[in-house]
Amino acid sequence: MVLDYVFIAELFARTVSHALIIVKLLQMKKLFITKESLEELVKNLKKDCDEFIAPKKEHLDDIVFSDTKHSGGELSAYEGNSVVSPRAFLLPQTEEVFKIISAKGAKFKAIEEKTRRIFYGVRPCDMKAITLMRDFFADKFVDAFYEQKMERSIFIAIACASRCSKKSFCYEMDSGPVAKDGFDIELTPVKMGYLVDIGSKKGSKILKKNNKLFTKASSGAIKEAKAILERFGEAAKRIDYKKLARIMAQDKVKQSIWDDMGLRCVACSGCITLCPTCSCFSFMDRLENDRGARLRYCDGCIYAGFTRMAGGSAPIPNHKDHIRRFFEHKLNIDTLRYGRPSCVGCARCIEICPGNIDIRKFIEAVTKGAE
Amino acid sequence: MKNEYFPKIVVIENIVNEAPDVKTFTLRLKHESGGKLKYKPGQFMMLSLPGYGEAPFTFASRPASNGRFQITVKKLGSLTAALHDLREKDAVGIRGPYGNSFPLDKIENKDLLFVAGGIGMAPLRSLIQQVFKNRKNYGNVEIVYGSRSPRELVYKDEIISWQDNPDTDIHLTVDTPDETWGGACGVVCALFPKVKLDPKTSVVILCGPPVMIKSAIKDILKLGFRDSNIYASLERHMKCGAGKCGHCYIKGKYVCLDGPNFSYLEMKKLEINS
Repeated sequence: MVLDYVFIAELFARTVSHALIIVKLLQMKKLFITKESLEELVKNLKKDCDEFIAPKKEHLDDIVFSDTKHSGGELSAYEGNSVVSPRAFLLPQTEEVFKIISAKGAKFKAIEEKTRRIFYGVRPCDMKAITLMRDFFADKFVDAFYEQKMERSIFIAIACASRCSKKSFCYEMDSGPVAKDGFDIELTPVKMGYLVDIGSKKGSKILKKNNKLFTKASSGAIKEAKAILERFGEAAKRIDYKKLARIMAQDKVKQSIWDDMGLRCVACSGCITLCPTCSCFSFMDRLENDRGARLRYCDGCIYAGFTRMAGGSAPIPNHKDHIRRFFEHKLNIDTLRYGRPSCVGCARCIEICPGNIDIRKFIEAVTKGAE
Repeated sequence: MKNEYFPKIVVIENIVNEAPDVKTFTLRLKHESGGKLKYKPGQFMMLSLPGYGEAPFTFASRPASNGRFQITVKKLGSLTAALHDLREKDAVGIRGPYGNSFPLDKIENKDLLFVAGGIGMAPLRSLIQQVFKNRKNYGNVEIVYGSRSPRELVYKDEIISWQDNPDTDIHLTVDTPDETWGGACGVVCALFPKVKLDPKTSVVILCGPPVMIKSAIKDILKLGFRDSNIYASLERHMKCGAGKCGHCYIKGKYVCLDGPNFSYLEMKKLEINS
């Protein structure tokens, strides 16, 4: 009997939160842009930035984010999501943090990030990841390199009309198919064009400058956008990530689950390379004779040497504890620390894993096993 | 916007050979880098050696009014080897200070037990110097210090001079004695029975290799010292010092931000023993 009440209450809460999102959508989405005008907008935006980071087909038909300001070829509309998240431009694989003028004399020269970037076509899951990382990089000590890039960037998100892959679970993790915040402009695709959301002052500035390209949205277009959300909601249930974190914090995950993951992980580092919220790094110096630079490069907890010290001792020596650390950080610790997990359900780690480690199945197994 | 990763320049004023492969460097900030460095015992710096990168070192001397500070470095990897090759007047970079200090408020008027192994004496020395500078503010002091051999004991002359302080007892031990050694032999834990401090109220501060910290804490607890009164200065791989790079992360805590000094109570919560 009690269980029934809980179930009804949960169902009610879900319906209400769902309805609230739709109400918010109805209030906000009042502007519209046609596909042709969007092409025009892209042309105009390219003039106002140093780099126009947009999805593009490269290599063997992969969608990747790339600077298309001069090269062109950006996809103004696209299905699915990019192989690598736009994180690659905010926390690049390598970046200089200062110049070394003389290594012997210990003379350094500061550098400042001044590139003005427009990120176009960012998916809601990645948009959320970018804002989560901003919270992290501004916590206590501000990471000037991430923050400066954010201050000089404009984000134009494109909501997802359909799931990008069978394995994605953005709706379940409360980070799709539309972005809630972080964007300056969000476009929601409908039949005739896009509904337009303005999310910030930077966004309104663009609107003012290009106001001829926008019109008022029709009620038909608004209904269409509403249907997208409903379609996602019908097929899925939100994950109770606070409950998940509680179970993990109480160390109630079966040891057999951790052992199994340890066996499956081959330490290929695919997950940490593609995860849009992975933020770990190291420094190295690159010198030519006496001059060069200190570089920051992406590093990660899956690597065997990540905690090893010069003397040889490693506080986390066992391989199976490395993958566990990754899961604990994303799903347990960050939920306790920030009130939300650092997983946005993009499923990139699931798609890439040669050992078939599936974070979504892990969540299911853990939450089910504890009931 | 301040670039946290940009080092200040320091000059090496003096180099002392402490022990085989161990040197103590006296450093001073260059004037253009802002004069004096404010730090507390137990905090650490990220030392930059261009071409070799950075590594964390704890301040090994008490904060002095002349702005000079020391680090004691054992040659273990490529950066420390290169550091050992430097000479007086050479310049290096530092960032910091980072991390928490030893529990300075908590130890006032308390009896103190310091336990150190090998190069682990370096972080403790900054606090021990501070304690003896303000001797009246603290109770009895006992220091248990061990190393592999007599030659590997660091700050030997200074440690002998500490014995001149009132209400102070120093217990030294080595694993392998030589012909010069007339003292105790064995691990530091073997000296604990000699400690006369009241376990119920005394504060214990440890630093040393992980195996030593692990076994010393076990034995100290057996003597009745309280887990909230036992502190260890921990060592982890660190790249940034600012809670960003992720290397020293343990269950949501960063050794560089929340440590490197943890009470045993906190260590138990983090499920670590060294």
